[in-house]
Amino acid sequence: MVSVATLEGAVRSRDPQGTRYVGRSITKSFDGATVLSQVSISFEAGEIHSVVGENGAGKSTLVKIMAGIYQPDSGELLLGQHRLSGLSPRSAQHRGIYLVPQEPALMQALSVTENLFVGVLRRGRLRFNVDWKSMKREASAYLDRVGLDIDPEVKAEELSVAQQQLVECARALVHRCVVIYFDEPTSPLTGKEAGTLFEVMGSLRADGYTLGFISHRLDEVLAISDRVTVLRDGAKVLSAPRSQIDRAGLVMAMVGRELTTRERVRPHVDAAGRTEMLAVEDLTSLPHFEGVSFSVRAGEIVGLAGLVGSGRTEVAETIFGLRPTDRGSVRVEGKLLEHRTPRACIDVGLVYLPEDRSRHGIFAEVEVERNVTAGVIPQLERFGPLLKPAAERLMAKQATEKTAVRMASLDTLMKALSGGNQQRAMLSRWLLAGPRVAIFDEPTRGVDVGAKDDIHQLVVQLAEEGLACVLISSELSELTITCDRVLAMYEGHVVGELSGAEIADTSLGALVVGAHVK
Amino acid sequence: MTTLSTPPAPSPSAQATGPVASGGGLGSAALGLLRRREVQLLVAILALFAFCTALHPQFGASSNIAFILADSVTIMIVAVGQTIVVLGRGIDLSVSPMLGIAAVSVGFPASNNNLNIWLALLYVLLIGTALGIGNGFLVAVVGIPPIIATLATLTIYGGLQFIICGGLSVINIPVVYTNFGAANLLPGVPWLIVIGVGVVVFAYLFLTRTVTGRSVYAVGNNAEGAFRAGVPVRRVLFTTYVISGFLAGLAGLMYLCQIGSATSTSGSDGNTNLMSIAATLIGGTTLLGGRGGPVGSALAAVFLSEALQAMISFRLNEIWDPAGVGVLILIAVVADRKGVPVRQLFRQPFRPQPARAVK
Amino acid sequence: MSAIATSPAPRRARAQTAGRQETTWVVAVVVLLVGLLAYFCLFVPDFRELGVSGILALSEQFLFVGLIALGEALVIFAGEIDLSTGAMSSLSGIVMATLWQHGLNIWLAVVVALVAAALGGAINGLFVTRFGIYSLLVTLGTQFIFGSVATAVGGSTPPYNFPGSFVDFAGTGTVGPIPDQLIIFAVIAAAVWLLVARTRYGRGLVLVGYNRAASRYAGVNVQRTLFTAFVLSGLLAGVAGIFVSGFYNAARDDIGDSLLLPAITVVVLGGVDIFGGRGRMSGVIIAAFLLGFLNQGLLISGQSSLAATMVEGIVLVLCLILKITLNRRAGVRLMELLRRRFGNVQQIPAVPDA
Repeated sequence: MVSVATLEGAVRSRDPQGTRYVGRSITKSFDGATVLSQVSISFEAGEIHSVVGENGAGKSTLVKIMAGIYQPDSGELLLGQHRLSGLSPRSAQHRGIYLVPQEPALMQALSVTENLFVGVLRRGRLRFNVDWKSMKREASAYLDRVGLDIDPEVKAEELSVAQQQLVECARALVHRCVVIYFDEPTSPLTGKEAGTLFEVMGSLRADGYTLGFISHRLDEVLAISDRVTVLRDGAKVLSAPRSQIDRAGLVMAMVGRELTTRERVRPHVDAAGRTEMLAVEDLTSLPHFEGVSFSVRAGEIVGLAGLVGSGRTEVAETIFGLRPTDRGSVRVEGKLLEHRTPRACIDVGLVYLPEDRSRHGIFAEVEVERNVTAGVIPQLERFGPLLKPAAERLMAKQATEKTAVRMASLDTLMKALSGGNQQRAMLSRWLLAGPRVAIFDEPTRGVDVGAKDDIHQLVVQLAEEGLACVLISSELSELTITCDRVLAMYEGHVVGELSGAEIADTSLGALVVGAHVK
Repeated sequence: MTTLSTPPAPSPSAQATGPVASGGGLGSAALGLLRRREVQLLVAILALFAFCTALHPQFGASSNIAFILADSVTIMIVAVGQTIVVLGRGIDLSVSPMLGIAAVSVGFPASNNNLNIWLALLYVLLIGTALGIGNGFLVAVVGIPPIIATLATLTIYGGLQFIICGGLSVINIPVVYTNFGAANLLPGVPWLIVIGVGVVVFAYLFLTRTVTGRSVYAVGNNAEGAFRAGVPVRRVLFTTYVISGFLAGLAGLMYLCQIGSATSTSGSDGNTNLMSIAATLIGGTTLLGGRGGPVGSALAAVFLSEALQAMISFRLNEIWDPAGVGVLILIAVVADRKGVPVRQLFRQPFRPQPARAVK
Repeated sequence: MSAIATSPAPRRARAQTAGRQETTWVVAVVVLLVGLLAYFCLFVPDFRELGVSGILALSEQFLFVGLIALGEALVIFAGEIDLSTGAMSSLSGIVMATLWQHGLNIWLAVVVALVAAALGGAINGLFVTRFGIYSLLVTLGTQFIFGSVATAVGGSTPPYNFPGSFVDFAGTGTVGPIPDQLIIFAVIAAAVWLLVARTRYGRGLVLVGYNRAASRYAGVNVQRTLFTAFVLSGLLAGVAGIFVSGFYNAARDDIGDSLLLPAITVVVLGGVDIFGGRGRMSGVIIAAFLLGFLNQGLLISGQSSLAATMVEGIVLVLCLILKITLNRRAGVRLMELLRRRFGNVQQIPAVPDA
């Protein structure tokens, strides 16, 4: 009979000093874009070490590398004294490292007991049969350990999300894991449920487990962490014990205040007299955001700032017709857009450059030419119903020249391009649509520093030519140097607007963490 | 430490039994049982039997019962194999020729050289296993989608069956075989069904009490999750196809014993493919895998056999058989929804929704 | 478990040439076709003696498979599958024949049958787009439904002995040495090829197959594209059914299921990726002839029809093995393969398109 005491004995027996798990100089790229660059991090026993950062900062990737789900391009992993290589999720579990995923991935039709023991079903005397009796007993012990008072025979699908998450946590214990990572666990939880989770984490910490906590919710991070590491654009920006940091410091590290103030790309523009190109009024799409209103004039660059979860991308996707609208309207050049679909928006000159380039933007296995013309298929030159390939090629050529895409040829597959060039190609796509309004969602994410400046220049140039721009970004410095006005969003609402000289990292930083909201 | 002992989110089935639960323990227990597909099928079998016998008394004769049961055995055995494959989120469209090849491969030696029935049993199991390995290789090793892979082996094995026959048919099976096919353990209970039940019992034990069997459920539920948890996904999938072949081989021998002959199209002419899938679906296993079991499929096989026999009694043209089966499948699939909207059931695995809303 | 990552630089180099894989495949198929014909002409006297017109006439034995394959390819390009095409061709033949039997002019009956076929495709399309059910499940069901309706309506002796004009045009008639069916097929094949390669619809179709979510973001009407693909697939299967009836001078309700596998084999042989996106329609067209002549050549050189069918199955398996091996070398990871096969579909915001 496995008691909780033997469980803890197992923890201690792995390494008398508790287990220290270190990642050194971890670097990782996906499809040409650098996601992590020379990140070193150390997880100590008996500690909750939080890793924070914006979406795309690399924290999720870092932890997945530590848990064997991805392989680093370079760098090393040290568990205690051992150097780990060729880690896979399975071998990581063997070694005692477990990742509780953001969304619990339990087997819905199977019982909690079975879910706990998937892959390590306890065998009976005959070696191929299952020992249900002892598993049920053990299951109860593990569930108790994580504070779950449920019948282990209940099917996973009948549990709430919070309960499923705790089952995932119990699974880590079943696998005798001493290093446990929690990837954004509180996103689907209510406050009370999150509290329960934190209690469990606290008790694990007290027993000497090595815990990692990924989050973008600063309140939680400040409440439970012993140590905090901040990642930004794939690099480690800050790593300190909890006692040495405060909320303001965290925000600054996360959203990026350069020690030297950078110059604006162009002076602030007061667009007061110009045509209103985009007017969004009372736009609502529950549960993501509510009552969003703003307008953008020709030649203006309006920024949309906020942390992950503030609803910015959802606003853009709703404007573009990808999400249902509960309430509110969108007008382009004064004309109301009813029944918005992406096609309808593109046709009136409203384009959207998506945040998740690899999943929603590019066609990785398709040539650059086709990627570039993908947005304007109805506008391609035709002879009767048939397209003219030569004309299409010319179109693509001119568009990619305008944005200076560096590639071997138009026939190169998109995935062979670097992140920056992929983004330029995406810009070419939307340029072909002859846009009046463009929404750029994190346009410099996954782009090397040099290319970032180029993209800023491009956006400003387009604004000079009359394009009304919305720039969504998590990087406050990016907004500070490009935007004429900036709106801040927090938890689904617009909480403030800054224009002209008011825009600075400090004021913006305060707004995006809801400092003025009560 | 506060424990998270809030009652789990009410599932549709729990809600449904809510108001009834307040009335009498036995009543709610019975209703709870009734939610199980196996029980529903049992009830359906008995109800149909009562209905048909009332209108055509000869339907209830023990010889008719024996016939229905015996007739269901080949489908039952094949369906159990199909169920195991489908539980792993696969499908096996080659069961018809696997059965057929087994039948003719021992049929010829049996009728020409008086092959010992026990040796015949050994041979069909080996042959079936070999054919199943072929399927397993294509699906688990090469990585071809099961529907395409087994579609291909359907043709290839069908051709093999034809080649083995070499233009001839199996006739004049030794009496040993057909006697077994006709013999009863008890009045109305043929030996064939005993074998069938034995197969079901073994399958049930396999699926509920062995590690590999539980792994099939794990893979069918969430292959990626199972992989990450250390389940040898490919090996498990491979095994399911081998079992399907193994059982198809056994079914081939049963077929031979029951029918007494075999041709180059045996198996295919009885719509074995379709019937095995039908029995699997009607028996409560969904094509998406991870849910269901062999008992339901076995009961469904009996029910189908009974239903087809009933259609004969009512003089319905044979040609409407597949349509009738289709209607039953439809009913089964729709009844299977457990309160989940149809589109969600078919689209993606059940996902709990995030609880928080905008403040 | 083997390590999963590959280093960026070599992958980039390989990525640049992966696009050429498609063209190479088509070229290979052409070469195989020529080689095959040469082989049969040289080594199988019965084949050689057919002469040009005889060899061309052989195509009537397999052009209906090619037609089905054309429609199937459209659906597969988009990343879906249509298992009901074979059964639909049976059904359309039966519909046409039964209507004619009951007095309707044969040509009118053909039109009605084709409309019915398109409707059948529309049913598939509806269930896949509006109700969001996996195309595998939908078409598995409709395959069965269409098939049993065809058998039931056809009865024990389906209608036969159609008017001469029909048999002449849609069956065995010729223009000089070239069979009518071949001309019709060529026209249809050219149209379908142009549809995929040179129209706006075709562009959208291929993009949907490569990345459904990105297609939505790029403004492609994914629902409409898929729906149309299924309608066309049904329609082309319907035409195939008419061809079958014309060629055999009888409505065949039994042939449907045996056409599905060769059709899919043709598509795969033509170089189309079973998961969508990659491939050339020209490859499919050539592959129709390659597989067809392979089949016919085997029959003429004395093999039984079932043996020839076996060969089709083997060809399918070999092609798939080849394709998957090539994909593996180009860096498609095991998890991606598992993911696609077990259908953890890309998440798209759930808004139905207009």
